[in-house]
Amino acid sequence: MLFNSTIFLFVFLPIAYAVFWILRSANARYVWLTITGYVFYAYWDPRFTLLMAFSTLVSYTAGLGFLRWDADPRRRKLCLVVPIVTDLTLLGFFKYANFALSTVGATLHWLGGGEVALPHLNVILPIGISFYTFHTIGYIVDSYRRQVRPTRNFFEFAAFVSLFSQLVAGPIVRFRAIEGDLLELGRSERTRWLYRGISFFAYGLVAKVLVADTLGAFVDPALAHYRQLSSLGAWMAMLGYTFQLYFDFDGYSCMAVGLGYLFGLRIPQNFDSPYKSLDPSDFWRRWHISLSACLRDYVYIPLGGSRRGAWRTYRNLLLTMLIGGLWHGAGWTFVVWGAYHGLLLALYKRFGATWDRLPRGARQLGMFLLAVFGWVLFRATDFGMAVWVLRAMVVPTAGVLVLQPALAAALLLLAGWWSLRGPNAYDLHRRPERDRAWRRQVAVAASLGASLAIIIGSRPSPFLYFQF
Amino acid sequence: MTESLTHPDAVLTSEAAPLPAGTAPAVIRVRGATFGVTRVALRRMTRALVLVTVAAASLEVMARIDDWLVYRTPFLSRITSEEDLIVRDRLGMHGRPSVRFGKWEMNALGMRGPEAAVRAEAGTVRVATLGASETFGLYESPGHEFPRQLEDTLNARLAEGACGARRPRRFEVLDAALPGMSLPTVEQDVRLRLSRFGLDVALYYPTPVQYLENRPPVAAHPDTAPGAGRLPATHALYPRALERVREDVKRLLPTPVLAYLRRRDAAAAVRAHPPGWRFDAVPTDRLSLYEHDLRRLLGTVRAAGATPAIATHGDELMRDPRDRRRLLSAWERFYPRATGRTLVRFDAEARAATLRVARDSGVAVADVARALTGASEEPFADFVHFTDHGAGLAAGAMADAVLAAARERGVCGAEAAPAAAPAAAPAAAAGHR
Repeated sequence: MLFNSTIFLFVFLPIAYAVFWILRSANARYVWLTITGYVFYAYWDPRFTLLMAFSTLVSYTAGLGFLRWDADPRRRKLCLVVPIVTDLTLLGFFKYANFALSTVGATLHWLGGGEVALPHLNVILPIGISFYTFHTIGYIVDSYRRQVRPTRNFFEFAAFVSLFSQLVAGPIVRFRAIEGDLLELGRSERTRWLYRGISFFAYGLVAKVLVADTLGAFVDPALAHYRQLSSLGAWMAMLGYTFQLYFDFDGYSCMAVGLGYLFGLRIPQNFDSPYKSLDPSDFWRRWHISLSACLRDYVYIPLGGSRRGAWRTYRNLLLTMLIGGLWHGAGWTFVVWGAYHGLLLALYKRFGATWDRLPRGARQLGMFLLAVFGWVLFRATDFGMAVWVLRAMVVPTAGVLVLQPALAAALLLLAGWWSLRGPNAYDLHRRPERDRAWRRQVAVAASLGASLAIIIGSRPSPFLYFQF
Repeated sequence: MTESLTHPDAVLTSEAAPLPAGTAPAVIRVRGATFGVTRVALRRMTRALVLVTVAAASLEVMARIDDWLVYRTPFLSRITSEEDLIVRDRLGMHGRPSVRFGKWEMNALGMRGPEAAVRAEAGTVRVATLGASETFGLYESPGHEFPRQLEDTLNARLAEGACGARRPRRFEVLDAALPGMSLPTVEQDVRLRLSRFGLDVALYYPTPVQYLENRPPVAAHPDTAPGAGRLPATHALYPRALERVREDVKRLLPTPVLAYLRRRDAAAAVRAHPPGWRFDAVPTDRLSLYEHDLRRLLGTVRAAGATPAIATHGDELMRDPRDRRRLLSAWERFYPRATGRTLVRFDAEARAATLRVARDSGVAVADVARALTGASEEPFADFVHFTDHGAGLAAGAMADAVLAAARERGVCGAEAAPAAAPAAAPAAAAGHR
């Protein structure tokens, strides 16, 4: 089920919302949130709810283990390792098994082993597995580090893992971030965050339905026939993809935040106008913030962070971003994309002082272009495509433009202004509530109306980050 | 609402204690009863009304922008539904020239498809496809309705040597069909309008169950009134979002609910008529009338200087689908006078009648019904309308009949080389003479 589908907007959400607020106790609301989460997930494929239930049960049991063996370091370690290994095994099997097999096959072939016929497993990647695996692993690690107190309430934990607003494409919400709101769920007021929830949702809907999907209408066909693109066409397609990806994922995250507010839960911010960033560090503080924070806390810092000298820092940055790349997808293009960003971060660490002396505009433009080149790797289906598109972007190439180039150019200008200069959902909400409240409500109403016109007239397009 | 409407006592109470600024009560009288409504509540209601209006206006404006972006439909187009693509004037019922609605675009001749001149260029074999919604194309993606695929197939066959030495330059297919066009109206259209277009072949794909409507079909009367067929200017303001909402609601309704609503509609139609009104068996008089009208159409096509060809009608029920009951109830809703079984039998008997008429009249026939029965992929999007794949199969079957008619006319020679498979689909039905 997609947030931008009529079944979600007019059937699932009203029922989920109404029943949630009719129920009074926190426990009843946990149970209801769990049910809605599983229904939401089962709408895509009911078989994989068992996988999520299993992952939930293992992590919950580990949490109870932490409580029971609070003073036993050996057993605590066991409670840490067993669920993490279980979660990563599941993730590894469903997401990376075929990638690993094909890599082994290619390596053996390269080493002169001839054609090695390794099996191709017929597995479907369960939607959102990368996200809920991170939710459960985060819970286990934070419990082990005593940063959160594990819950004894199974449904509280199950509601956290299966919370439909952030189940399939994030943000990666850590238990500690919404623990307080979950505890207070029985006492939360329906109207407290109502307007904020609706306006965040409306902002996300506009970003996804009106901007990202419209950009996708010329980006997707252009990149499907990338060999025919001219240099200008390649630039238009890649700039379009750069904005499409941002508005798609930011739109989804804002909808998730808005839905969280509607149910009395404050889901943390996931994007902070990343194309306004001035350097690679700044970019990763603004892009997919919840993932960056997880990578920092669960990979970079345990590797030693920046505490053991310059070279170890560069290595840690590179390794962290390699893992980040691999998290996004089981493909070497993602790994290289991660390495590219790791390299940018390391270079910035080394030459940051020089970079920072550049004028602000040049730094923003420079970082934006570096991100665009990175997205070529991210979007490419293989290295051949990445090389072709990159070459078309830097070497003058004759070919075709994107579909409806005038309209595409206008859209790029609008999307460019919005992402490089315009306000994001949080900027809009940081302004005083009473200031222009009336105009804001009109804007929200108009946004909802405009988005609905597109939603009800077409088949909903899936969110790009669902594939991860 | 409990917050905004208060009992008179509450008004008295609020009068006793001074209210904050802006909350002084206004008094509303409804049937003698007096209600106090605070100004704050009134303001809230007004605000809600304004917001709903803004959202609705924005929905409508965006629906129009989307129509323009996707289909190039003018922002203030007067075409508000498929029905507006049809016009009735002194030439009878036909397509409205140079308009579009959604994916359906009519050319200057009032036919679905690319622009065409009144007279075909030399060396072009002009084929007209006649029929109703199946021929017009409802569910196929643009350019995949069977007349377009038929044109592609014919030209591919031409390139493969289907016409031998006597080879025309190309085949051109005009889609003269319209949703709901009955056989007598098609005959009238050939007589009054299509004869001007220099047709070489006219291929009719029938919808026999039209003969199970309450009254037997008759030709739509030409309208000679001045300004007939013109759409009023107010049509430009018709809310287009409504159509989108309606379609979405239909899509959202669970299948059992939809089936129940259809059954209820059909039952209501039956109740509104005397006992015995419903066709529980195939009405032979209606079948005879279909056969009679079909023969008449063939005569009219010949009189118009074209060579006729016909096709048998296919339906999903012939394929014994899994969701048979759902399809039957959906079909019955359009023809409540006939039971589902009667519809299926009538269609099957009409197929036999069509083949008989073709044999008697020496007309090329494409047995589309047979070609679709064994389709590996789903050929129908509902009970009778084609998918892209089904339209391709139908076009493949019809191509043989059209080539046979073209040969009979002398605009296409005999096949020079052994027949190659048609491009769009295997020709399951050979041209029958």
